[in-house]
Amino acid sequence: MSRNNGMDRRQLLKLAGLSAAGLGLTAAGCGSGSGGSGGPVTIRHSWWGADDRAKKIQQCVGLFEKKHPKIKVKTDFQQYPDFWKKFNTQAAGGNPPDVIQNAVTFLRKYEAKNVLLDLSPQVEKGNLDLGGFRSGLEKFAEIDGKLLGVPVGSNSMALVIDEKVYEKAGITPEIGWTWDDWYAGLQKIKNGQKIAGDAGPHGVMYLYDLILRQNGKAFFTEDGMGFGEAELLPYWTEALERVEAGLYADPNKVEQIKPASATAKGLSAGEFTWDNFSVRYSAEGKSSYGLAPIPSTDGKKTGQYLGSLMLSGTARTKHPAEVATFISFMTHDPEVARIMGYDRGVPATTAQFEAFQPADAPSKAIAAYETSIADAGVLEPITPHPAGADVIEAAFLRIGADLALGKTSPKDSVKQFFSEAKTALAAN
Amino acid sequence: MTHIQISPGAVAPGDDRSVPGRSGSQDGPPANAAKRPGRGENLAGYLFMSPWIAGFLFLIAGPMVFSLYLSFTEYNLFEAPRWIGLQNFSDMFADPRWRQSVEVTSWYVLIGTPVKLAAALAVAMLLAQKRWGQSFYRAAFYAPSLIGASVSAAIVWRALFSDDAIVDRTQKVLGFEVGGWIGDPEMIIYALIALTVWQFGAPMVIFLAGLKQVPQELYEAAEMDGAGRWRKFFHITLPMISPVLFFNVLLETIHSFQIFGSAYIVSNGSCGPADATLVYTCYLYEQGFVNSRMGFASAMGWLLLVAVGLVTAVLFWSQKRWVHYEEGGR
Repeated sequence: MSRNNGMDRRQLLKLAGLSAAGLGLTAAGCGSGSGGSGGPVTIRHSWWGADDRAKKIQQCVGLFEKKHPKIKVKTDFQQYPDFWKKFNTQAAGGNPPDVIQNAVTFLRKYEAKNVLLDLSPQVEKGNLDLGGFRSGLEKFAEIDGKLLGVPVGSNSMALVIDEKVYEKAGITPEIGWTWDDWYAGLQKIKNGQKIAGDAGPHGVMYLYDLILRQNGKAFFTEDGMGFGEAELLPYWTEALERVEAGLYADPNKVEQIKPASATAKGLSAGEFTWDNFSVRYSAEGKSSYGLAPIPSTDGKKTGQYLGSLMLSGTARTKHPAEVATFISFMTHDPEVARIMGYDRGVPATTAQFEAFQPADAPSKAIAAYETSIADAGVLEPITPHPAGADVIEAAFLRIGADLALGKTSPKDSVKQFFSEAKTALAAN
Repeated sequence: MTHIQISPGAVAPGDDRSVPGRSGSQDGPPANAAKRPGRGENLAGYLFMSPWIAGFLFLIAGPMVFSLYLSFTEYNLFEAPRWIGLQNFSDMFADPRWRQSVEVTSWYVLIGTPVKLAAALAVAMLLAQKRWGQSFYRAAFYAPSLIGASVSAAIVWRALFSDDAIVDRTQKVLGFEVGGWIGDPEMIIYALIALTVWQFGAPMVIFLAGLKQVPQELYEAAEMDGAGRWRKFFHITLPMISPVLFFNVLLETIHSFQIFGSAYIVSNGSCGPADATLVYTCYLYEQGFVNSRMGFASAMGWLLLVAVGLVTAVLFWSQKRWVHYEEGGR
């Protein structure tokens, strides 16, 4: 046996040499610098989303480069969770993209770490136009007098429903309906059609925020949690009962079909999500899908606000003027609106809002939904999100799912959530 | 110029393993050490090694030392690390998710490694026999190991074990109504174990080499004495290949402790459901890159290193009892 024990030292050295050479090559590949002066300036833009969004943004970038031949835009995109992992690492390494898609959950986190560019000087210089934004949206990303982002669209929470199932059950959701009406509807759907009424809303942080706001609280305060165990425990206890009763979809099945949506795959008659997400349902599922209003406790206050995706610059950029020019173009140019549609929500500026007249049913439904909630006068200002909100949102979703799967009791889940939230607030 | 022997232990096959220099002759130092290479040759050697040395220093040793320092700090990537002593370690032991990750990883190592090695040995024994198409079969069984580490294999695995996919349907035909394994916190870990077992190619090739070395005379002699198949396996094959077995056990155990990619992808990046696939490295990654707790993640990394080191030490210690080397060999 031992006469030929595998590889001799010479072979081993050869192997080590080869792998070292490989390593060296990769290292060299990583170090390729950017920059260049004199000629056109290159800025990097990255965002999260599916291929569809990437194609549209690419088209807009093409248009921008044509109109601004001195600025080149390099693009990059990932899925949502991967996007932030990558950005976090890039930002820590001092090499973040110049312009990123951003959301309110991350504003304070990166503001506290001085990652985001204050765009207000660019407004004064005339590189960034803040005129013509709908209903005060231009203030959306203003923190302590700094302008940390510019909204590209607005959206609001909604209940996406499978219209065929709701119709068959004889339920017509209307503004002013209450949670009791909704639960009665779930029961009716379950009894009549043997389908769960909802995909399981207990892990959706933004919905729970609305429920808290309906009761005079909020998910977050400026620097911490806006609620306690006393609120969450009954909510999750009831959620578990509804999962067991089959009113909420089988969490096991919901897990299997990820990343597809439970409602589109026929596992539930509806689910709470952002209204602009409804565009994906008709592509993913076979039924017809509509938007229903958020139920409330008293038939009036839904707690809703406009959320928004935004574009932010990063503080390390060498080209703040070009960054501002690009953001201004993306938020004001009518052609961009015609390309993007409602992909990132209803356009934030009136110029873009008027430029895009939706022709497809899902977009029309989103426009009608946003008009209806604005007319109903339920919209309120958004609550602040402290640094660490992103980690807390992920924990809420995960622990909510664990609970539904029966792995933890509501009491333990609540305890675990607050312990993780505390850590996240301290670490960020 | 005389011939320079590079590897001091290398011995021509068939000699009696009396290594020059060890015989206590008046040469003093080993013969090969006496013939020092010239300065030019040394320089050339170092020059050739320099990419590796640089890579080792900058990409391995440096970061390792830094991460050891970080493991005693709180560090969110953006602000300067803050020294907190052993806080990360005590946080770790108090964290139920960390304990879950240790449990999942231990389960994976304890179940996955033996099953994988058993599969590798069984197939190696089949393939060691001379028969038609032997090389084709060897290649075919080795192939999964080549693609095994890839993302695509894990995605395929996810598709196979989902609800209403092929595994689920087969189960239904056979009368088990357990549903897909992917969304089931009890079952998904077995889907991962199945994935690692399926990639038994590398240990199989090593076993094959080991099996080829077992002298046929031993089997012939045993047959004359009337030994059956099992007796031959337990009394000849296993002891004779025990050094190879030891090597495989060691390698596969270390490897299993570090499972990440397959768990991450099969669970769709969530290490779930219900943390059922929250293997150690998955949790480490989440803490470091999602929750921005690099100090905590570094502490976890160092603890893993220590744990793997301990397990390796125990395995080395245990080999005295079950690994048989031919006389003089080691």
